[in-house]
Amino acid sequence: MTYISKILGVAALLIMGSAVARGQGAQISVAAAADLTFALNEIAKEYESQTHNKVKIVYGSSGNFFSQIQNGAPFDVFLSADLEYPRKLQAAGLVESGTLYRYAIGEIALWCPANLSLDLKNKHWNALKDPRVQKIAMANPAHAPYGRAALEALQKSGIYSQIQPKLVYGENISQAAQFVQSGNAQIGIVALSLALSPAMKSGETWEIPGDMHEPIEQAVVVLKRTKDKPAARSFFNFLKGDSARGILVDYGFTFPAHAPVAPSTRREP
Amino acid sequence: MEALFLSVRLALCVSAILFAIGMPLAYWLAYSRWRGKFLVESVVALPLVLPPTVLGFYLLVAMGPRGPLGKLWQALFGHGLAFTFTGLIVASVLYSLPFAVQPLVASFEGVDRKLLDASAVLGASALRTFRRVVFPMSIPGVLTALVLSFAHTLGEFGVVLMVGGNLPGITRTVSIDIYDHVQSLEYADANRMAVILLVFSFAVLSVVYGVNRRVGRRVWATWPAR
Amino acid sequence: MAGEVESGALTALIRVQRGGASQPVFVLDISVAVPSGITILFGPSGSGKSTLLDCVAGLLRPTVGRIAVGDRVLFDSSGGVNLPPQQRRVAYVFQSLALFPRMSVEENVAYGLADTPEARRGERVDLILAAFRVAHLRSRKPGEISGGEQQRVALARSLVTLPQVLLLDEPLSRLDAELKASIVEDLRAWNQTQRIPILYVTHSRDEVDALAQRVIAIEHGRVIGQGHPREVLDAPRRTRLALAAGFENLLDATVVSLREADGVMSARLAETAVEIEVPLSYATPGDRVRIAVRAGDIMLATQHPSGLSARNVLEGQIESMEHRGTLIAVHVNCRSAVLMSHVTPGALRSLELSTGKTVWVVLKTHSCHLVSD
Repeated sequence: MTYISKILGVAALLIMGSAVARGQGAQISVAAAADLTFALNEIAKEYESQTHNKVKIVYGSSGNFFSQIQNGAPFDVFLSADLEYPRKLQAAGLVESGTLYRYAIGEIALWCPANLSLDLKNKHWNALKDPRVQKIAMANPAHAPYGRAALEALQKSGIYSQIQPKLVYGENISQAAQFVQSGNAQIGIVALSLALSPAMKSGETWEIPGDMHEPIEQAVVVLKRTKDKPAARSFFNFLKGDSARGILVDYGFTFPAHAPVAPSTRREP
Repeated sequence: MEALFLSVRLALCVSAILFAIGMPLAYWLAYSRWRGKFLVESVVALPLVLPPTVLGFYLLVAMGPRGPLGKLWQALFGHGLAFTFTGLIVASVLYSLPFAVQPLVASFEGVDRKLLDASAVLGASALRTFRRVVFPMSIPGVLTALVLSFAHTLGEFGVVLMVGGNLPGITRTVSIDIYDHVQSLEYADANRMAVILLVFSFAVLSVVYGVNRRVGRRVWATWPAR
Repeated sequence: MAGEVESGALTALIRVQRGGASQPVFVLDISVAVPSGITILFGPSGSGKSTLLDCVAGLLRPTVGRIAVGDRVLFDSSGGVNLPPQQRRVAYVFQSLALFPRMSVEENVAYGLADTPEARRGERVDLILAAFRVAHLRSRKPGEISGGEQQRVALARSLVTLPQVLLLDEPLSRLDAELKASIVEDLRAWNQTQRIPILYVTHSRDEVDALAQRVIAIEHGRVIGQGHPREVLDAPRRTRLALAAGFENLLDATVVSLREADGVMSARLAETAVEIEVPLSYATPGDRVRIAVRAGDIMLATQHPSGLSARNVLEGQIESMEHRGTLIAVHVNCRSAVLMSHVTPGALRSLELSTGKTVWVVLKTHSCHLVSD
C-alpha cells in the first residue's frame, strides 16, 4: 500500500510542478537565417533575462524556412535574410497583421583564416587571385540572399570571370563559412555578422563595400500560426528595441534609413 | 540531366570500388577467428547508424588541410579533396561500405564449411578455394552488394551536401539538384527530376531482381539480418 | 603396374584438449597404428571419431602429439611440424560428402588434380570415373544424381589424387544395403591395388561385419579395444560399447560364488532370486557386476528342455512381444528378471507364442559377457 501511495505522491508532484512551470512563461519558437547565428543568440539571452519567456531558435537558410512555413511548420517568429520571403508569406496570409518589419541590413565580407596571410585588408578583391587560393566559398546565389549579394559584388568587382572556376557553393552562408573554417576553401564570401562572431574573429576580414550590391534588407514576421500571440509579439517588439539593435550593430548590421541607430547599452563579452 | 548522369557515374564508380575492397574485407570478416573481429564489424556498420551529417562533418575536417586525407591529397596532387568528384567517391565509398560488405559476409558465411575443408584437403590454396568454391556460390550476395551500393549512392544526399560544394557537372548530384530547385521554389523542375530519378532507379532494380529471379536465386535471402 | 601406391602405416599418438586449462571440455587421448587395408573406427556418437579424422587430415590441430604416414611426418608438436591439409596427401570423404554443387561430376573429380598437366589429368579422371562406374554421369551436377552415385563420385574425387591415407566418415550411413554392398566392393577392389591405410568411421555394426579386417573401438576419446572385430565387439568390455554393438540385455547382478576349476562363477540378478552361470572374471563374492547378453543368443522353449549343454535354463512368462523388422522381440519375465529374446516369425507361429505363456529361457554361459562402466 505504501508503495502505491508513494508513486501517486510523486505523480501528483510532477503534475503540479509542470503546471507551475507552465505558468512561469511561454516558449517562443523562432526560425532565423543563418547569418544571425551569433547575434540572435545574444539577443535571445538578453530577452530571456528580462522576461519569463524562453526562446528556442533554429538556424538555417531562409528559403528552406519559407518552404517549411508554407507547408505548416509551427514557428512563431521568422527572421529572414531578405525581404522577399516574408513578403510572400504575408501575401499568402500567413503573417500576423502589422508584423512585417525590416529589422536590419546585412553586409558581406571576405574572410580567411589568419595563418594564410592573404592580407585581405589591403589586397581586397585581388586576394582572390592569389595562386594559393584554390577554392572560394560562397552561399548558393540561386536561393540564398547573401549568395545573391556576393555574386553581384563579384560581378561588379571585375574579376568574376577570372576566379569563377574556383567558386564552390554552400547551401547557406553558414556552410560557406564551414568550408573556409575547415580549410577546404581558402577564402569565403560570408556574412559580416559571422566574420565578426567569436568563432571567426581571429581570421582576416574585409568588409565588402555596401554599394557593390543591392542592400540585403532583412525582415522579420510574426506568423499567424503562433499559439501564443502575446509572447511572440513581445519578442518581436524586443527586436525593434535599443537593446537588440545595439547587439546587431556589434555584429556589423546597419539599419534602414527610417530608424536611427542608438548606442549599444550592453556589456562587451 | 547533367546531374543525373553525374549521379549515375558516381554510383557506378563507387559500386566498382566497393566490389574491389569489399570482397577481401568481407572474406576476412567471414573467415577470421580473431577475437577483435567484432570491433571491425562495428566500424563497418557505423555508417548504418550515424546520420550522414556526422560522417559528412568528419569528412569535411579530414579532407581539410589539417586532416589526414587532405594532407595526403595535397601532397600527391597539389590540391584539396573536397569539392571534387573524387572527394565524393571517397565519401560515398565510406558511406555505402556496410551495404556492400554485409551482404557479402552473409553470403560467404552461408557457404558450408565442409566444402571449404574438402577443397583444402584436395590441395587447393585459400585463394583457389575462394575463386572456385566460395565465389560461385556467393553470386546472389555479390549481386545484392552491387545493387545496394549503387542504389544507396544514387540516393545519397547528406554527405554530398556537406563536402560537395554544389559544382555543376562535378559535385552537383541529382539529389542536390532537386533540393536546390525546391529551395528556389522551382517545384516543377524539382518534380521533373524526381520523377526521372524514381523511374530510373525502379528500372534498374527491376532488371536486377528480375534477372536474379530467373536464374533461380533469391537475392532477398542474403539481405543482412543484423 | 603404373599408378600403384604403397604407403606405410598411419600412426597417430595424439591428445586433443578443448575448453579452458583447468576444465577441459573434451579430451581425445589416443594412440593408434593403422596398417594398409581397411580399419574400422567404431564407437558411439561423441566418442571422438570425427575429431581423430580431422586431426589426421590437418583440419584440427591436436594439443600435443605426432601423426605420421610411414616415415613421413604430418604433425609433430615437439618438432614444430604441422603440414597444412593441402600438403598431407590425405583423402577425406565427409559424411555430407561435400561435393561442389556448382561443378559437374567431372569437374568435381578433377578438382584435386589442378597441379597435374591437362592431358594426364583427363586420363586419370576417365580411369577413376570408370573404376567407380560413374563415367556416364560426368556432365551432371551433384544435385542431379542419386545418393549412391554421389557417394561414388565423392570417393572417386578423393582417390584420384592417389592419396597416402583415406579417411571415410560414415560414408554409407544413408544408403540401403544393396548400394552399400556394391560401393564397398568397389572400394575393396580399389584397395587391392592401392595399398594404403583406410580409416573408416561408423557406428553401424552391419558395416563392421561387411568390411571387417580390423577394428579400433573408441569411447569418450579413448581407445578401448583394437584388433579383430570378433574380439573387440563380440566380447565387449564396456557398457556403452556393448549397447552400441547390439547387446540388448544389460543385467545388474551380484557375484555369489566362484568355481575357478570350471572357469565359471554364479551371479544373482539384481532384485531377484535368479542365479545364472557366467564366465569367471576377477571378482569376489558380493561384487556388483553387469552382464551383457545378446537377444539373439537367448533361446526359448515351450517345454522344459533337457540334454542341453547350456547351463542356464530359466522358467518364465512372456510379458510382451513386438515386431522389430524381421524379428520378434519377446520379453520374458523369469521371477522378476526380465530378459529379451529375438525369435523369427516362423518360430512365433510354430511355438504358438503369446503373452502370458510359460516358456523356458535358455542362456549359454559364454553368451554372458561381463562389462564395466
